[in-house]
Amino acid sequence: MISIVQRAFKVREVPVFLALVLVILITGFANPRFFSISGVQDITLGVAVIAILSVAQSFVIVMRHIDLSVGSTIGFSAFLIGIESSKGAPLWWCLTVGLLLGIGVGVLNGFMVAYLKLPSLVVTLSSLYIVRGVFNEVAGGTTITNTDVPSFISFLGRNYFLGIPYLFLIALVLMIAGGLVMRHLRWARDLYAIGSNPPASALVGIPVARRIFTAFVITGGISGLAGAVLLARFNTAAANSGLGLELNVVAACVVGGVAIAGGVGTPYGAVIGAVLLQAITLALGALGVPQFWQQAVNGILLISAISLDRYLSSRVKPTQIMRVNA
Amino acid sequence: MNRFSFTWDKGVALLLVVVTVVGSFGVPYFGTTDNISFILQDIGEIALIAYAMSYLIIAGEIDLSVASALNLSSATIGVLFKNGVPFGWAVVGGLITGLVCGLINGFLVTVVGLQSLAVTIGTLALYRGLCFALLGNNPVNQMPDSWTSLGYSNIPGTFFPYVSILLVVFGAIFWIVLHYTPFGRRVIAIGINPEAAKFSGIPVARTKLALFAATGLMSGVAGVVYTLRFASASPDGAVGYELAVIAAVLFGGVSIAGGVGTLWGVLASVLVLGVVRSVLQLSNFSANALLIVSGALLLISVVFPRASELIRAGKKAKSSN
Repeated sequence: MISIVQRAFKVREVPVFLALVLVILITGFANPRFFSISGVQDITLGVAVIAILSVAQSFVIVMRHIDLSVGSTIGFSAFLIGIESSKGAPLWWCLTVGLLLGIGVGVLNGFMVAYLKLPSLVVTLSSLYIVRGVFNEVAGGTTITNTDVPSFISFLGRNYFLGIPYLFLIALVLMIAGGLVMRHLRWARDLYAIGSNPPASALVGIPVARRIFTAFVITGGISGLAGAVLLARFNTAAANSGLGLELNVVAACVVGGVAIAGGVGTPYGAVIGAVLLQAITLALGALGVPQFWQQAVNGILLISAISLDRYLSSRVKPTQIMRVNA
Repeated sequence: MNRFSFTWDKGVALLLVVVTVVGSFGVPYFGTTDNISFILQDIGEIALIAYAMSYLIIAGEIDLSVASALNLSSATIGVLFKNGVPFGWAVVGGLITGLVCGLINGFLVTVVGLQSLAVTIGTLALYRGLCFALLGNNPVNQMPDSWTSLGYSNIPGTFFPYVSILLVVFGAIFWIVLHYTPFGRRVIAIGINPEAAKFSGIPVARTKLALFAATGLMSGVAGVVYTLRFASASPDGAVGYELAVIAAVLFGGVSIAGGVGTLWGVLASVLVLGVVRSVLQLSNFSANALLIVSGALLLISVVFPRASELIRAGKKAKSSN
């Protein structure tokens, strides 16, 4: 019995999950409205976009890389989907455009990081700027209004299945798919090896460059498709859509145990981290803490999470993700 | 082998000359004294923080919280002044706030042993959150003219804004310390190989703590400049400056892998970005063009050294065959 408990605590996701349960219980007892259906729906609906991007990001972070371009990609994709739809294009075409945009950005990022061996922080910071710049140039002052949003997408954004928002269901399905892939597929296990020790993983015969390239393309592709989710969530898109999401996404991953140092973490953890951050934001509101404190608390939470992780696991030595993996 | 070697920072300096010449001859109003004054004001905060950030990145660390620290310093000034503290002391409070922000980052990285990227994403949110907690939705706009005129007027008799004094003085200090003092050489040694630096007796943790503190302090200085320039302290000021600072530092030839970089390369880079921005604006390009150009320049700054490396490696392989 004790060994089961001990083993459970060795799973990185467990402490975060317990923190989540604790937050919900404390808030719920202090303010019973938090337990209501609408309270749960607030959390799950609000978190869907970040959760999906966090699953995508975890593929990159376990390799000790980072993709900061996701906020620009998802915003541009949401806008393009709306534009195509307003021209009367069918849904499949709109989604294809979003997906192709994401894959395009992913291919460029992946090529430069994997084959030119450039640091991912710089490469994706550049593509954050470039994609946002092109996006703003294309968008100008145009706003996608709810009449432009494909009806199926706006249906997903406003409706629930058994009380769960469709958007959160999409995030859950993606999380499980991502989790299974990263647990069982050989190439995905290689990502962990690359993140744990890049030179060693090359020596044991892992095609490091190809794996890195693939992971960036997957992250880009998911971010592109997620444009539909962003559009569904807000029913609108404009030049500032998705601005600054990248840091929330990285924060969710880190809180959920996907360490910046690489080699550890799962999509489950990333989603739990995202939900925890969202739950705390709403919990503060429910507890009557002025909304102005919420961002500060999120920052403290992120720092506590990584400090706790550092304290609990001495096996991951601090390394620098900015270093080029030569 | 005393041949002139072409390095990236020299390329940036050359680019600065080229864009300035092109701007002066090709773009109306570019060469006017008003515009030069405007450019210097425009780059002020970015340059001040970039000086210190260069050291951090050379030492292999990074600080994403600088824009939040800048604004927290500004918010502190606003709140202190609103509550009756004389403006001069409020400014001191702002500087201390910046320093404390930097010390917190440094403590978490060097003492607790966390990664600077993750830590400073956290403090980015924390410091920004504290701005909202301090100011709520009420920006402080009533500031004494005797102070705010320092923010927008020029040094009497010249067309240089007052911020140029800070740019020159801090530029000189950071340049001399990095390139001509043991401390500066230690910073570079840490960036090249932290382990080796430690074993050769360099106090790595203490040096890094000092660098984080310096970056925080410079964010505080930039916060004062920002407050005076806009004559206001608002919770959402300077959002996104951190990426502009980092882009400027990296474009200036500082390697994200650590150990490489010159201070004048960074200064040239900040100036290039300011001049390019001005040229684009005066030529009626949209602000989006600047985003695209910044991103492209940043990318070129990493692709170029890598490409020349690959070419050199290729030549070597050929000659050894």
